[in-house]
Order: sequence, then structure tokens, then C-alpha cells
Amino acid sequence: MLNHAEASEKFIADAERTTWHDETLWFVRSKRDKVSKLLPEWEALREQASSIKDHTLANLGQYLEEFEAKAQKNGIIVHWAKDAQEHNEIVHSIISKHGGKALVKSKSMLTEECHLNEFLTKKGVEVVDTDLGERIVQFRNEVPSHIVLPAIHLKKEDVGETFHEFLGTPKGNKDPQFLTEAARQHLRGYFLGANVAITGVNFAVAETGEFVVCTNEGNADMGAHLAKVHIACMGIEKMIPKRKDLGVFLRLLARSATGQLITTYSSHFAKPREGQEMHIVLVDNGRTRQLARDEFRNSLKCIRCAACFNTCPVYRRSGGHSYHQPVAGPIGSILAPNFDKSANVDLPFASTLCGSCSNVCPVKINIHEQLWFWRQDLMKEGLAPIGKSLSMKGMAFVFSNPTIFRMAGYMGRLVMRFAPFIVNNSFNPWFKQREMPDAPKESFQSWYKNRK
Amino acid sequence: MSSRSEIFGAIKALEKREISHPGDFKSYSATKDPVGDFKNSLSIVGAMCIEVENKKNAEARLSEIYPDLQRYASQDVVANGLDLEAVDVLEIDGMFGVAENGAIWLSDQFLPNRVAPFICQHLVIYVAKSEIVATLHEAYERLDGNYADFGLFLSGPSKTADIEQSLVIGAHGARSLCVVLT
Repeated sequence: MLNHAEASEKFIADAERTTWHDETLWFVRSKRDKVSKLLPEWEALREQASSIKDHTLANLGQYLEEFEAKAQKNGIIVHWAKDAQEHNEIVHSIISKHGGKALVKSKSMLTEECHLNEFLTKKGVEVVDTDLGERIVQFRNEVPSHIVLPAIHLKKEDVGETFHEFLGTPKGNKDPQFLTEAARQHLRGYFLGANVAITGVNFAVAETGEFVVCTNEGNADMGAHLAKVHIACMGIEKMIPKRKDLGVFLRLLARSATGQLITTYSSHFAKPREGQEMHIVLVDNGRTRQLARDEFRNSLKCIRCAACFNTCPVYRRSGGHSYHQPVAGPIGSILAPNFDKSANVDLPFASTLCGSCSNVCPVKINIHEQLWFWRQDLMKEGLAPIGKSLSMKGMAFVFSNPTIFRMAGYMGRLVMRFAPFIVNNSFNPWFKQREMPDAPKESFQSWYKNRK
Repeated sequence: MSSRSEIFGAIKALEKREISHPGDFKSYSATKDPVGDFKNSLSIVGAMCIEVENKKNAEARLSEIYPDLQRYASQDVVANGLDLEAVDVLEIDGMFGVAENGAIWLSDQFLPNRVAPFICQHLVIYVAKSEIVATLHEAYERLDGNYADFGLFLSGPSKTADIEQSLVIGAHGARSLCVVLT
């Protein structure tokens, strides 16, 4: 598997596409700025959301119990899964009881995290992703590159090609309106025929035992209200205490995600409809482990809006696939080491620590600090790549020896002034896409000593 | 040990932390003109809006907007959602509107079927001008104690921007939304 830097190198090989990707996501970030500034209480809302989540995480056991009891009273069947494997097995066992040819699924990052599609496909179940972006990447045998805009790494020409191949649309047609209509017709057939629908969960309300699912396309509802069985999958951190708290989170979610005032549909599922079976699968998969860590607990506040993706200078220029994780971007980089430290050791380093992610986060997660905490943790455990450990040790050695430090500075200035070719070549990663700066004539130290 | 008790065990093993709930949020974005703000939000989310004296007067305007399409206005329960697949224009009642975002609360008590507002090709929702609240906080105040088995905030027609961020109206749900203010 390629690490973040290697995969990014492949992504940026197409300079034009990289620029497009960068600018498009920045445009989404700007829309978020615009709508957030229309609300005088925006900062108070962020603070409120953050405090509600703090409170919920401190009382998670109590709220999970309350939610379970209320949901069961409402006629929902509640399941618990300690890890991805168990989650997948539970979902599969429900499906096998009801049969059916195909299963329609709306967006759920949890099922991506658990690799549910892969699991079910191996068991012979046809999983049809119904979010347009997810259907596109599913056709292409790819994974989403962004949690809100799954196909943002693709151009309309790519989608046109894919739909020509899988849906028989005319070759060369790349009109988004036309292609969306083709997907609508194609997926409607599946909605009308599906026995089982899987959805994610945006918020689960302990007070009422209901859960809320937000979409713009209406695909979650088309699936859930037509199928005989509705399975909703959620991580245990999706809990909120009261129904009134929804007002806070729904005001923040879409504004932070896409700059919309609210998603088109915010559906509140409390009871199954007559004759329907409704299941909810509550999944731990490492969340209680994260909950126990003081410095990383905050990451569980995330409401998956992706504002941190859109603002991140590294994400915008490296693309979601370079993070090799279902959740990419800054938030993904602090969630991933919790699943597997050595496989994701590169991700906390895929950041400039500029802090923009923390500044836009609607629930005020200190993302950039956690990136830095993970770096320390991974270095201490000796998991960092050998080059990184060596260069850090080298730096520490130079910086702790004043004589050597002065000598190194002197040599550096000398080389850059008289033999620039030694640094201006492709062996120096800093020279890629950049000119090296002009070397100063003297060091700060000698300037300071000689000042009048 | 079951996974349930394993999960609860892991949570209970953690050190107890006392952090209280911050209380209900007090919004300070008041509106002087809820109906005007609501109409403005509707245009942002891509919905049409017409104003009429009462429901009956909407007839002429709606047949102008949807000239050759059949309209379905019965709120009688339709047991099988699939039976609504052929509905071109569905007319339903919204309970109230939210000025800040153009959302309308729909509850399954007033829907022929839960899938109705999604499966129809076009959607018409009646909302009384007297029933517009400023923000979602007031909306949940209003819903306090009113727990529908299924309910939703619906804001505008179904949409997507998954292909190159180009906005396309009419993804899987209704292709258009016309809000009739009475």
C-alpha cells in the first residue's frame, strides 16, 4: 500500500486536475463561511454543540441505555456489535432471514469503516449504493474520496464514461443533468424492488429513541420507506441527549458541510411503519478505546460534516484516496491511528498543523493538536518511518549543540551562495515545485552581535 | 460475555467525569418578518412559492404551474407506498415552516404514506402564514410533546451536486417543490 506522500505524488501528477480539486473544495469552504456569517450566534452554536457532546461522552453509558430502552419501546430491534466483523455478521443475518435480490443502501461512513459492502458481496448479496456519488465510485470499483462529496476526485467526463459503460448512456455525454437523470431512472428500479434498506444515522436521540438521517437526494427515505426491513447502522458516539439538541446540530451540520441552510431532508425515524421491521445496529469498533484516552476523546464529537476536509491545504491538494482510509482528511487522520497505529502512521504527518481544521469544526474538535499528539505517540512507540526518526534525531543533535548549529548555518549559506546546484536538484524534496530562497549574507546571531 | 455488556463494561470502567448539559440554546437571531424570511429561504433552496387567500384559490395557479400533470390531493392512507409511484403531483399539508432555512415539518399523521413526499414527481405543500417560526430551536419547541412515529423537515426539492459540484435538481425525490402559503 502506498503511504500518504506516495499516493499524493500520483494525485498531483495531473496538475490541472489538482488545481481544479483544490479550487472546488475551497469554493465549498467559502460557501460555509458565507452562511455561517449570516448567523450572529454561530460561535455560540459551536460552543453549545461542543458542550453537549462533552456532556454526552461523559455520560455515554447512561444515554445508550436510555436510547436502547426507548427505541425498543418504539418497536425497533436493537443490536450491539463490538467490532466491524460482528456488525457485518449482524447485518448479514438480518438480510438472510428476509432474502431478496438486492439491497439498497444510503450513505453510511460506519459501513465503509466496517467494509460491509465487501463482506456482503462475498456472501452473494448485491449491495446497491444509492447516493449518486457513492453509486459512481461503486461502479468504478473505487471508494469515496470525501465523506460528503464521494466522487469529488472525478470530472464529469469520467462520470460520463462510467455511465456509458454501466448504464448505456450515449458515449461522450457528460452533462450532469442528463447523467443524474440516468442514475435516477436506474436506481428507482432498485428502490421499488428492494426488500432491505440500509441507512446510516446522523443523530440518535436518547430521550425519544428516535434517529435522524439527513440527505439531499432523498435516497435514504426512498429506500427505508419502501423496503420491508430497514437496518440503520451507527457508531455509539452518534448519541445526543435530547430532541431539542437536534436544533443545534441541524443548524450547524449542513452549513458547515456544503454551505446549505439545512439538508433537503432531515428525517426522524421513531417507529417502524406498519408491517415493517426496523433494526438499529450500535457499533463500538474502537470507540470505547478512544473514549478512554484523554487527549483523543474529543475526536468522538465529530458529526461528519467534512468542513475540515474542505479547508485543509493538504487534503485539497492530495485528494481523499491518498489517505487510504474510509474517512480521509484531518479528522480521518486522528481517527485512523485508533484502528491501527502502524498501518496509519503516515496520516498524522499529512498536515501542516496550520489549525484551519480546528477553526472550522462545528463541534470544536482540537484536530490539529490531536494530530500533533498522535505524532508524539507514534514516534515514542518507534513506529515512525526510519527516515523520519533519523532526521528528527539529526535535528535534535544539531539544535542542542551551538557550535555545530552555527557551523551548519555557515555551511548552508556558503553552499547556497556559491554552489546552489548542490541543493537545486531533484534529490532535494524542498526543491520540487519551488525555487530555493536567496541565502542571507550573515546569520541572525552575527547580525545581532554586530548591530550598532 | 455479550458484546452489549462488553461495551457497557468498557464505558463503566472509565473514570467518572462530571460535565453537565449546557441547557437549551437561546437563539438571538430574531426575525421581524418571518413570512418574508421564509420566502427568501425557499428561493435559496430552490422551491417555488405562491401566496393565496385560501386553499381553494390555489387551484388556478397550480394548474398553470403543472398544466398537463395529474394532481393527487387525498390524504387517505395508502397502505402500500408503491401505489404512489405513478403520482405526478402530490399535494400535502405541512404543519409549520421555519424561516431561517425554508424547512417544513411533515409528520406521517398527515401523509398518505411515509414515502409519499419522496416518490412523487412533484410536490405541493400548503403552509399557513401564521405557522412560520424563526429558527429550528422554535421549531423543536413547537414539536415538544408531539412525537410523530415518523416526521421530517423538508427544505426544497431533492437535489445533488455529486457530479463536479454542479447543482442538479431532482435526484431521487421530488423534482420540484411548490409551497402554497395560505
